Amino acid sequence: MKRPGLPRWARQVRVVLVKELVDSFRDKRALASILLSILVGPLITGFMMNRIADRQREADDVRVPIVGARYAPALVQWLSQQSGVTIATGPGDPEQAVRDQTEYVVLVVPTDYAENFRASRPASIKVVADSARSDTRGQVERVQRLLAQYSAEIGALRLIGRGVSPVAATPLKVQAVEVSTTQQRAAKLLSVIPLMVLLAAFTGAMQLATDATAGERERGSLEALLVNPVPRGALALGKVLASALAGMLAVMVTAGLCTALLRFIPLQELGMRFRFGTPHMLGLMAAALPMCLLTASVQSCVATLAKSFKEAQTYMGILILAPMIIGVMGTLYPIDNQPWMYGVPLLGQYVLLTSVLGGYAPGPLAFLAAAVACVLAAAALLRATVALLNDERIVFGR
Amino acid sequence: MIAAVDLKKYFGAVAAVDGVSFTARDGHVTGLLGPNGAGKTTTLRMLYGVMRPDAGTIEVDHIDATKHPRDAQAHLGVLPDIAGLYPRLTAREQVRYFGELHGLEGGMLEERTTDLLRSLDLMHVADRRSAGYSHGERTKVAIARALVHEPQNVLLDEPTNGLDVMSTRAVRAIIRRLKAEGRCVLFSSHVMQEVSALCDSIVVIASGRVVAHGTPDELRAKAGHDNLEDAFVALAGAGEPR
Repeated sequence: MKRPGLPRWARQVRVVLVKELVDSFRDKRALASILLSILVGPLITGFMMNRIADRQREADDVRVPIVGARYAPALVQWLSQQSGVTIATGPGDPEQAVRDQTEYVVLVVPTDYAENFRASRPASIKVVADSARSDTRGQVERVQRLLAQYSAEIGALRLIGRGVSPVAATPLKVQAVEVSTTQQRAAKLLSVIPLMVLLAAFTGAMQLATDATAGERERGSLEALLVNPVPRGALALGKVLASALAGMLAVMVTAGLCTALLRFIPLQELGMRFRFGTPHMLGLMAAALPMCLLTASVQSCVATLAKSFKEAQTYMGILILAPMIIGVMGTLYPIDNQPWMYGVPLLGQYVLLTSVLGGYAPGPLAFLAAAVACVLAAAALLRATVALLNDERIVFGR
Repeated sequence: MIAAVDLKKYFGAVAAVDGVSFTARDGHVTGLLGPNGAGKTTTLRMLYGVMRPDAGTIEVDHIDATKHPRDAQAHLGVLPDIAGLYPRLTAREQVRYFGELHGLEGGMLEERTTDLLRSLDLMHVADRRSAGYSHGERTKVAIARALVHEPQNVLLDEPTNGLDVMSTRAVRAIIRRLKAEGRCVLFSSHVMQEVSALCDSIVVIASGRVVAHGTPDELRAKAGHDNLEDAFVALAGAGEPR
């Protein structure tokens, strides 16, 4: 009857683990809500990034309706030679057309344009646009850049015609030095992915952690369970491992889904040469999977402490704020990696995830340090849960 | 065999159990009789190792249960006060789960599970999830999972509470069979007929104290009533503080 190798308590842990997994995977409604909360994030992000890429592409292809094109034939011809620019006849009432959103930009060339131009006086030209519309900002900016470029070219030609070097009219030469790699810039845009992976570790484990602790007591099966000759530690460990596995599954689905989505999103069109592949996905998982032990044990501990299933669920909602705060802070105030951060559970994982996405993953030691920090914290919380299970006031309600 | 000596349990300033001593022998059915709130459930909870007594000792098959509660629990089969099932598991799975926690596995476990379900007339729900069970079916499944490891000592907290006639008879039949197998059966009840029909020995508890201990005949004689119910009222009343 005894199988060699596994000690009795370890077999009991396995029995509890398997039972909790079977039990919770039969809870179809809970399963559906977990799945939904895991899927919604990546899908929305994927959709949004796709839209941004689309807009970027649209900005390159710009349609320029011009009112009074015949007053500025040279400008119109220069514009039409620029790549992606289509010239169109302007509408009768440009301002109304932009307000109605039938056009996003209209150029208006006044009748005195040619006269001023020939006299080398600043020839005015109107750009009618609605700056409140963010979706067409790219196109409007492109048109304005083109006009500035045309203006500079004509100005340079005029200076040369007067025997002056155009360089004299350029006292400053502004050079932007970009220190971040394109992959790092991409990671900033993708900074919502670490947040989603962190959240998955919480949402995935949450249902099982509450059901196996607060739920077990509320259903009245806890007393019968505690009558069995099983060390409380084995019971708690089995339950924590079961919910940790559920969290890990959620993390793997999220990481896998994000990897798949990033393949479909035209990141190059966002100005990123981002190559996202299996190494990145494995890096995400290596960073986040050990954390599931911690999320499962903190949720189990808190849910054991709660007086009812409802109360436990409220606490779960509060716990999930922790990764959200880190994620939002990380997006608003970019975190510069410090070695000590790897030792702080959650923060360490966040920093690792961001690094992996930025394409500059730290060495295995950082991964190990972050994992060890999580396991130690999880062990402490497991001890606390065992202490709670030994407390009669907790087991029999207060 | 279960021996309790001078058990005490306080909840704050209240003494729920205040010096209870008795012995439940193998091959005997011992009844723990008392009105609601007399301390029956608290006494049983200390015996089956989910509450620590503030004073006193418990022996289960000569194991010191206060020092080694898990070892003692291996010799106990318990229908606790609150005996909830897992709504998403079938009867067979609930019984199997508890068997596995006791270290049983393989064909022997399957065989015992099926035997128990059959003898408790639960085969028709064996592979159905317990969410829709009747009260009687739930109690019988809870009893089945308590007996899967064939414990020498069986503790049942108000096993027939709220059951219909048929289910009550089934539970009585189980208790008689356990006795015939030479096991030690200890059950609590506040129902006189239950106790008089089944018990070899009765422990009457009131206000956390044992007010009488003996066979049904001895109790009748002691209280001076021919009717056991009258005897019970007289004895239980003796425990009330005046």
